[in-house]
Amino acid sequence: MKRWRRWLRAIHRDIGYILTGLTVIYSISGIAVNHADEWNPNYVIEKSTTVLKLDNKDLSSTQSIVDAIMSKAVDNEKLKNSFRPDSNTIKIFTEKHNINYDLSSGELTKEEIKARPILKASNFLHLNAPKRVWTYVADTFALGLIFLAVSGLFMVKGRNGMKWRGTWFTIAGILIPLLFLLLYYF
Amino acid sequence: MKKICAILVLVLISTLLVSAGQKEYGKKITLKEKTKISTILQSPEKFVGKKVLVTGTILAVCDKRGCWMELSSDKEAQKIKIKVKDGEIVFPMTGIGKKALVEGEVQKIFMSKEDAIKQGKHEAEERKTKFDPNSVKGDVTYYQIKGLGAVITD
Repeated sequence: MKRWRRWLRAIHRDIGYILTGLTVIYSISGIAVNHADEWNPNYVIEKSTTVLKLDNKDLSSTQSIVDAIMSKAVDNEKLKNSFRPDSNTIKIFTEKHNINYDLSSGELTKEEIKARPILKASNFLHLNAPKRVWTYVADTFALGLIFLAVSGLFMVKGRNGMKWRGTWFTIAGILIPLLFLLLYYF
Repeated sequence: MKKICAILVLVLISTLLVSAGQKEYGKKITLKEKTKISTILQSPEKFVGKKVLVTGTILAVCDKRGCWMELSSDKEAQKIKIKVKDGEIVFPMTGIGKKALVEGEVQKIFMSKEDAIKQGKHEAEERKTKFDPNSVKGDVTYYQIKGLGAVITD
């Protein structure tokens, strides 16, 4: 094996090891974000709706409505905040739930929002939310991927390399995005 | 090696302790004096283009990209939208119900009737609520704050 090819394989191997973690994070997040129209990639939102009829004495003020809902529809949770966005609606925020109460229909919607721990963290990095130094880490990762892709072309010599198989497979890989550009872009 | 590990653990724990309770988003807040949201909404033209510091309870957050949130006013039945550039700041959905301190610039938004209907449909889709296009009677003007920096407190 030629000396340059031996070096190339060694560098390709070691950069590959280093980039494994980031590649997995970016790929998982990529799949999650790709389907953002069908699901929320960061949060699980659980909603339940019931009807709660309040007595006239409970409806005397915003505070009495909040107190009544807290005692009748909330189990052992502290009240964080409440707000009346319009005359017909009360919003109550407890430790775990966001509650929306419709005064005219008595419809009470409880919403619990839970973060998807691993996905949210992966998306945080993938979408460059941290900014600052992470931007350069991500740039370096992208350059590393380019290196892996290009160096991978020259890893194997002969018919399984760029002399035959490698060339055709590389052309096929380039044709995939070109085909979709022809279908959807031009 | 053990010393390095111990220092890293200490740094991690102290970072977590410092960040517990409140979290900062975007640029550092520079203004000291708060403006009541009700004051802005009472005469918004006076504030257009000006930087303000407001506080309120987070009523809603964009569930797709965290690119906007609604803050309650100090008065009932009033709220204001805080809009940020997509990806520049990401407000967390778990922030709903918490108090937020936001610095930003008051903006006047004008939308034609057609655009207002499009926007209404889009927002209803995002919030999974119903939208009646007939509720838009004509061109719409509203005021929002272009968020620059925020602190969300538990």
